[in-house]
Amino acid sequence: MTALEKPVTGFVTVARVGDVEPGTVRVVEIDGRSLCVGLTEDGEWGAIDNVCTHDGGTLGEGELDDNAVECPRHGGRFDLFSGRVLALPPVRPVSAYETVVDGDEILVRLS
Amino acid sequence: MTTATATTLDAEAIGRISDHLDEPDWLREHRAAWWERAGRTPAPTGQEEEWRRTDLAGLPRNGELLVDAPQLIINVPGGLRDGVILTDIRTAVRQHPELVRRFLDARQGQASHAHFWAVAQAAWTGGLFCYVPRGVSVDGTLVARTSLTDASATYLPISLIVADEDSSITLLEEVTSPDGAAGWFGGIVEIQAARGARVRYANLQQLGDGAWNVGAQRVVVGQDAIVTTLNAEVGSKVTKVGLDVQMAGPGGVSKVLGILAAGDDQQIDINTVQDLAADHTTSDLLYLSALYDRAHASFYGVTNVRKGTRQTSSYQECRNLLLSPQAGAEPIPVLEIEANDILRCGHGATAGAIDPTQLFYAQTRGLDHDAAERMIVRGFFEQVVAKIEDETIRGRVLAALAGRIGTSEDLAA
Amino acid sequence: MALPNPALTQIPDSYKYGWNDPEATSLNIAQRGLSADIVEGISRFKGEPEWMTKLRLKAYRHFEARPMPQWGADLSGIDFQDIFYYIAPTNKAVQSWDDVPDYIRRTYDRLGIPEAEKKYLAGVGGQYDSEVVYHNIREDLEKQGVIFLGTDEALKTHPEIFREYFGTVIPANDNKLAALNTAVWSGGSFIYVPKGVHVELPLQAYFRINTENMGQFERTLIIADEGSSVHYVEGCTAPTYSTASLHSAVVEIIVKKGARVRYTTIQNWSHNVYNLVTKRAVAYEDAVMEWVDGNLGSKVTMKYPSIYLLGERAHGEVLSIAFAGSEQHQDAGGKVIHAAPNTTSLITSKSISKGTGRTSYRGLVKVYPGCEKSKSTVRCDALILDEEARSDTYPYMEIDEEDVTIGHEATVSKVGSEQLFYLMSRGLSEAEAAAMIVNGFIEPIVKELPMEYAVEMNRLIQLQMEGAVG
Repeated sequence: MTALEKPVTGFVTVARVGDVEPGTVRVVEIDGRSLCVGLTEDGEWGAIDNVCTHDGGTLGEGELDDNAVECPRHGGRFDLFSGRVLALPPVRPVSAYETVVDGDEILVRLS
Repeated sequence: MTTATATTLDAEAIGRISDHLDEPDWLREHRAAWWERAGRTPAPTGQEEEWRRTDLAGLPRNGELLVDAPQLIINVPGGLRDGVILTDIRTAVRQHPELVRRFLDARQGQASHAHFWAVAQAAWTGGLFCYVPRGVSVDGTLVARTSLTDASATYLPISLIVADEDSSITLLEEVTSPDGAAGWFGGIVEIQAARGARVRYANLQQLGDGAWNVGAQRVVVGQDAIVTTLNAEVGSKVTKVGLDVQMAGPGGVSKVLGILAAGDDQQIDINTVQDLAADHTTSDLLYLSALYDRAHASFYGVTNVRKGTRQTSSYQECRNLLLSPQAGAEPIPVLEIEANDILRCGHGATAGAIDPTQLFYAQTRGLDHDAAERMIVRGFFEQVVAKIEDETIRGRVLAALAGRIGTSEDLAA
Repeated sequence: MALPNPALTQIPDSYKYGWNDPEATSLNIAQRGLSADIVEGISRFKGEPEWMTKLRLKAYRHFEARPMPQWGADLSGIDFQDIFYYIAPTNKAVQSWDDVPDYIRRTYDRLGIPEAEKKYLAGVGGQYDSEVVYHNIREDLEKQGVIFLGTDEALKTHPEIFREYFGTVIPANDNKLAALNTAVWSGGSFIYVPKGVHVELPLQAYFRINTENMGQFERTLIIADEGSSVHYVEGCTAPTYSTASLHSAVVEIIVKKGARVRYTTIQNWSHNVYNLVTKRAVAYEDAVMEWVDGNLGSKVTMKYPSIYLLGERAHGEVLSIAFAGSEQHQDAGGKVIHAAPNTTSLITSKSISKGTGRTSYRGLVKVYPGCEKSKSTVRCDALILDEEARSDTYPYMEIDEEDVTIGHEATVSKVGSEQLFYLMSRGLSEAEAAAMIVNGFIEPIVKELPMEYAVEMNRLIQLQMEGAVG
């Protein structure tokens, strides 16, 4: 995720620097979609779908351990950057969204 | 009169129903008692096992309660005699109040649908009353049809069917409504079969594609009685019904048949209870579903063999044919067996596609894929259709399903 | 099995972490009840890396927050604050042979268990002579590159592989009891089998002699790398006495491509025990996972070994036997999740309820969309032996793929009077005849057990049928 001079087309703003504490995730509703946006302790931003593929839990209300988003319902884990499953019980990945930082805005490409 | 909706129903509105239908006091009190009970029996939250699979939030509660219920269209071949009664329930209240009063039961249907049972017992505005006196055998198939004209209305009819000792009757009930609007059809059916009675009951539901069919049925099988029920779910957007079968007297037999062909975005969710509470009783259940498009069928049925009963026999089967990639099924037959002196007890559930070999053979007979598939589905449904002894019922059910599964005449074409 | 009879003689690494007084620490955590302090204390006392301490504390938070399950058996008798979560070296829970309940002692006699083993199983005696056997086996395994250690030790000696897999199959917040186990786990087995290695000999839990042997909160992790195979066996048919009333283990198994794992458990805990276990395996392409699960003891068991079929052509089986005598409730079964095409599964469950006992089969077959050509068969049979006994079957199915074949059949019956009459007419007593019928009923699963277990199981059933014990 690199800081850019100008905003890139196709991206929308989901948060501002300071909106999210490092090491946490939150829910962002944008353009009719529900996203889980997170900032790792190392300062990297990521965004994935908000709905756990196991039983519909709200990922944005879960915890973030390093790059693993933990679903609050049954502890399933997804990678914040790729959406890959890191721990069961979910078996299907969630969609992940390209995330860039532009100035103090966090932008996500909702393709 | 100012009508109420499901949301605005209250004790006053219930009272106004009695005013409008000019009801005797005992019926007023009956309604009031059930309304009070409905208040004490809250609607399901969705956390309950039986309600997890259907989201009740979409139940249309703003339709006006249909107080001027449509006329029941009754077809009685050969006419009624020997004291047999088959009429809409409002007429029955006027003409045979003692009988209706005697059989309008104070007992609940199954626990999972208790709320809806209570509301309908308080707020019914139409329905059917059928009474067969002791020893009388009714020939032919009696048919009672309800055609709703306003799909957005809330209509909670009650069908009360009483077969006295050693009587015999075959009754087909049909309900239709137009496509389009969403309305709540919350019919309840109560069948009481006294000692030695023989009842064959079929309910053919062909509501419109926006309808929510959320209701319940209760069957009480007396000593040595034989009751066969068939529920064919063809219409509705969402069907969520609870069927409660009580084997109340020794030697009773019940056969619970269900058949459904669902497509588009239909959701059918059935809960059954087979309560074997007496010795030497038999209760068998067979539910078959064919699911197309994005349809979904859930079945959660409990067979309960009560402690201390002897020589009961029960088998519960739920079989689902999935005919499209997005169709889904959840058949969950549950056994709760508290007695060990069992003659036979078991259950089975299956879900899956048509056997490709079967499809292949059908196509080698010159049928295209769709015709072959329809033929195989009809063959699948034979397991239930063959158990329908009455020709009229069989014919009507097959005609209702023809839209999805074609008919055997198609093969000749 | 028996309570730990630990003999921690080494000074723990906890000194490094600034816990200056191991004595005091061990006394602190050797008290009843649970708190974040005790959880942290356990981790420090064991000298664990920081990530494990943090994980335990997170799991403890989840445990506190989650409500008890509202389904299944009656767990109202568990008092979480009345339990020792860590038995320090100086605490021996059972001091003498006299404390062991009569029915257990009688069963040992009838089963002909050797003296030393009896004491071991009852947690009374010292080390069992299998220590020698264990050392020999370890040498053989080491030559093949197989790792077979206690979980505590593996965390220290193989941290990378441990951390890669721990908690990926059963995460800390999966359910309340898994959260508890993740917070206070101690003991259990860690097994890693390298690619292509076939471990011929079944690895047995009681080969591992270490401080926390078959304790209350065991945590087992088994990784079978590609093309390998291993069979792990735990428990025993002889009744095992435990003063600890809550046993809540977690078992995670990863079966990689083409590998094969069988995990056999026979549990016969004393009738004061709540046995609540989470067992789950993942099976990748062409892998095979088999759970063989025998539940004979405990007051209440809730256990549903599961298999997630994540790769094409993976196969999973659960073979389950449950026996519930008076006052017992076995709530068991199996779960299979089909998450890839061409996967197959088989669940076979045989339950027997006697006296006032209750068996419940609880299972799930779930098929995700896209898993074409998958097949699953579930077969549950239950035998209710007495009037007061009870049996339930709750088979859940969620089928969201069309091109599959999924079936479930169940029967519930009693011992047939003709069968009984026939056997009795051949000179058997009623109890002997009933035992023979019951043994025949469970035979399809018993024949999958290692021989000595099978023999003991049959004898145990016979004893139960005669009513000669408990």
